[in-house]
Amino acid sequence: MDRTAGGITRWSVVNLLVLLYALVPVVWIASLSFKDPSTFAEGTFFPTRWTWRNYRGIFDNADFVRGLGNSIGIGLVSTVVAIAIGTMAAYAVARLDFPGKPLVLGLSLLIAMFPQISLVTPLFEIERSLGLFDTWPGLILPYITFALPLTIYTLSTFFREIPWDLEKAAKMDGATPLQAFRLVIVPLATPGVVTTAILAFIVCWNDFLFSISLTSSSRARTAPATISFFTGSSQFENPTGSIAAAAIVITIPIVVFVLVFQRRIVAGLTSGAVKG
Amino acid sequence: MLRAPFPAGAPAGRRAAAALAAALTAGTAAGCASGASGSRVVNLYNAPQESIGAIASRCNREAHGRYRIVLNTLPRGADDQREQLVRRLAARDSGLDVLGLDVTWTAELAEAGWIREWTGRYAQQAREGTLPGPLGTGTWQGKLYAAPYNTNVQLLWYRSDLMPDPPTTWTGLIKESQRLAAAGRPHYGEVTGAQFEGLVVWFNSLVASAGGRILSPDGRRVDLGPSALTALRTMRQFARSAAADPSMSNTKEDDARLAVESGRGAYEINWPFVYASMAKMKPGMLKRFKWAPYPGITGPGRAPLGGANFAVSAYSAKPDAAFQAALCLRDRRSQRTAAIQDGLPPTIEAVYRAPGMAKAYPMRQAILDALKTAAPRPLTPTYQNVSTVSAETLSPPSSIDPPRTLGTLRGLIEDALQSKGVLP
Amino acid sequence: MNEELSSTEAIPVVGREAAPASANRRSERRLGWMLCAPAAVVMVAVTGWPIVYSVLLSLQRFDLRFPARKAWIGMDNYATVLSSSFWWNAFAVTMLVTVVSVAVELVLGMVIALVMYRTIVGRGLVRAVVLIPYGIVTVAAAYGWKYAWTPGTGFLTRLLPAGSAPLTDHFPAIGIVILAEIWKTTPFMALLLMAGLALVPEDALKAASMDGATAWQRFIRITLPLMKPAILAALLFRTLDAFRIFDDIFVLTNGAQNTSSVSLIAYHNLIGGLNLGIGSTMSVLIFITVALIAFVFVKVLGTSAPDAGRR
Repeated sequence: MDRTAGGITRWSVVNLLVLLYALVPVVWIASLSFKDPSTFAEGTFFPTRWTWRNYRGIFDNADFVRGLGNSIGIGLVSTVVAIAIGTMAAYAVARLDFPGKPLVLGLSLLIAMFPQISLVTPLFEIERSLGLFDTWPGLILPYITFALPLTIYTLSTFFREIPWDLEKAAKMDGATPLQAFRLVIVPLATPGVVTTAILAFIVCWNDFLFSISLTSSSRARTAPATISFFTGSSQFENPTGSIAAAAIVITIPIVVFVLVFQRRIVAGLTSGAVKG
Repeated sequence: MLRAPFPAGAPAGRRAAAALAAALTAGTAAGCASGASGSRVVNLYNAPQESIGAIASRCNREAHGRYRIVLNTLPRGADDQREQLVRRLAARDSGLDVLGLDVTWTAELAEAGWIREWTGRYAQQAREGTLPGPLGTGTWQGKLYAAPYNTNVQLLWYRSDLMPDPPTTWTGLIKESQRLAAAGRPHYGEVTGAQFEGLVVWFNSLVASAGGRILSPDGRRVDLGPSALTALRTMRQFARSAAADPSMSNTKEDDARLAVESGRGAYEINWPFVYASMAKMKPGMLKRFKWAPYPGITGPGRAPLGGANFAVSAYSAKPDAAFQAALCLRDRRSQRTAAIQDGLPPTIEAVYRAPGMAKAYPMRQAILDALKTAAPRPLTPTYQNVSTVSAETLSPPSSIDPPRTLGTLRGLIEDALQSKGVLP
Repeated sequence: MNEELSSTEAIPVVGREAAPASANRRSERRLGWMLCAPAAVVMVAVTGWPIVYSVLLSLQRFDLRFPARKAWIGMDNYATVLSSSFWWNAFAVTMLVTVVSVAVELVLGMVIALVMYRTIVGRGLVRAVVLIPYGIVTVAAAYGWKYAWTPGTGFLTRLLPAGSAPLTDHFPAIGIVILAEIWKTTPFMALLLMAGLALVPEDALKAASMDGATAWQRFIRITLPLMKPAILAALLFRTLDAFRIFDDIFVLTNGAQNTSSVSLIAYHNLIGGLNLGIGSTMSVLIFITVALIAFVFVKVLGTSAPDAGRR
């Protein structure tokens, strides 16, 4: 494509517009989180008085810290399990031929389209009777289920990209099947698995409905739900600053992931059509 | 702010790291309740209140090790508080012991079997010296289910420099607002007209002031009649007059308070906390800030009855300690602290004459008088439903069409009583 | 690459010897089933039984606050919900938000997809930054919008006439919800569309431009038609996603002024009203509607299996 000076300028302007679109709301939340609570009523975009008070406040709040722990722990467990069983299914879908393959894919699609609220009602009652209400397993189960479709689809995309013939070539060169797998396949598959793990983790991290419905205390409540239950520090003060600070705290890890793994994430979500 | 049992003085960062580590390792183990655990701990779940921490500390000292109250703060909005509590009670959570309940929840929680009945010695101590109105809010089907903690009545709070002689009726208030508007002075009368419980409170008091009621005394049938029509007409008239603030349909108690404190409003119908707030926020205006009885239809009306009671959860593992803790949390000294520091009117009559009340609570006689005729909200286990559908129907007050609104209300409330209705 | 994933022939199966066909095939079949079994079991167990249970609950009067009044009442709950103006109001709001936001996202997403795909400078940066609304926690962004539109604290309310509180009026609040939805989910739409863009062969475009076609004509006559499967797949996913909207409305208005979506009204009846009967009925109705929408897209519009799945 011609890189004329005019072309570069035009595209730069367009890029800038897209960047503003994506970033202005995020910068607004960040700015709110640094505003001194007494200046909220001024309604300016940038803080007139900067303070770390809001951040100090939320880390003093045991509920929020515990909520972060829950988010991280539940997210990790759900992701690991979803990746484990999703990898097996994705391998079968990408490499093997068996009747029932369309069924598996159809089932994944079905789950991806499933309205979560339809699951909340029965799960609320089932978990209540089984004693799973307000526990980690109570959230992990639905999280795994909703992470699986994305996992299976993205991983099968990545697996289709792998040149499996290399494994055959390594075996013909004298490697044992295990060596071939470990030294050839694993390095090729790892980037795809890592990317899919990140996408699955984002799905779990982002969840709100299950967390507010199936938990009732900081024992299992994740961070997004905890934020919505913040109270102000006094009878007359709104929790605006705390909520903004907490919102930034739970956004940072995702932003970091996305920026570092951008190329692979785009490849995964576009089924490999766009490689970077 | 939440008060968790962390050692005081540990720097925030270390505390946070320790909590994070603890949360991660303890997370998968079932059976650890949130709030503290331990054989002597009594978990109190209460709405945010400035002095409750001091009250709980005092009770802990006087308990001499029999129990230790741990404070857990609920969200600020009453609806959110209720949602948190009922969900845990429905899940038979044993981590709740003493619950700070709004007066309207007693019937619901008692009927569902989620709170324990107060009997014997505990009930006797709870009843002693307590005003009858608030005591009624803790009773369901003749049994005591919650010990009254604080009560609340709405009064007319006005600026005496604008309205030296406050009227006693709503039409009188409208006339005053018209007069002030013509003179170019602030003329808004702040009422809680937003779509929430406060709107239903207003409607209920108007119906009571007109001599009627919303439900039959046993709470099983709808009883809306001509007094309801009068109430609806009054609301509509007020909402369309010079007294109506343009943002009336967004006004809750805090908004009304802020409007008068900022000078936009000439008077408000609100709970007594506004006096404590005015003293703190705008002390210069305090001497021109006066109170009068709740306005009625043909004369002074029946003020809404609010407040909070303490109940003991049916799933509490230590009910005896919980009852004792609750009795201490609502005893005379506690109520006096809450009255002076937080503006929460006491439910024990003797406290009104305690030392220090005269200065901090100059309106106590008005409150006592209002309590004699105060109108409680309808007593039914489905009050949450009734309130939600009523608030939806009555909002915004300026679009009320009295006959049609009455018909709609009747139908929706009837459905709500059967749990047959859909909540919006 | 945009193969019909439902057809097994199209998947290249590599690394398999042409040994005795039946024995190999059988072991491959078994291996395939065994590998898929855990995932399939989890998905069916966690959704299948609850849906059946949901239907059963919807046929009962079951209010957690009146445990003694539990009873089987057949289709009464359905009659109650389907004749309730609150339900139809929520349905109308949900449809409005879905249609408007998906329509705008399609256009805006196409623009952003083109930028992400064709920009000649800072491509990595643009793609990375555009992913941020996708990755940000919905609730966090929703609070940002809520405070931006709150009179006093917000910087956006300063653009409106003084004293207006758009979040407390029915239609302005819905407008804000739509804006928040669009901001958050356009990147995903853009990604799906970019996948389709990448499949348009460069040669066709070059040939057309040599024949004198303008950029706009090339877009309308070549790019769009070739992208039709990707567009339909993207529309299907986004429509279903939009129909399930919950987080944004919960934070922005919590359903006040009749701005509830169907998911939110079901939540209010379930968790707020503790009415499992009515809550389940709404859940089943929502499930049926979602299935209907998917059916229309797949059978009537001919959407083929999309390439990426997302909640």
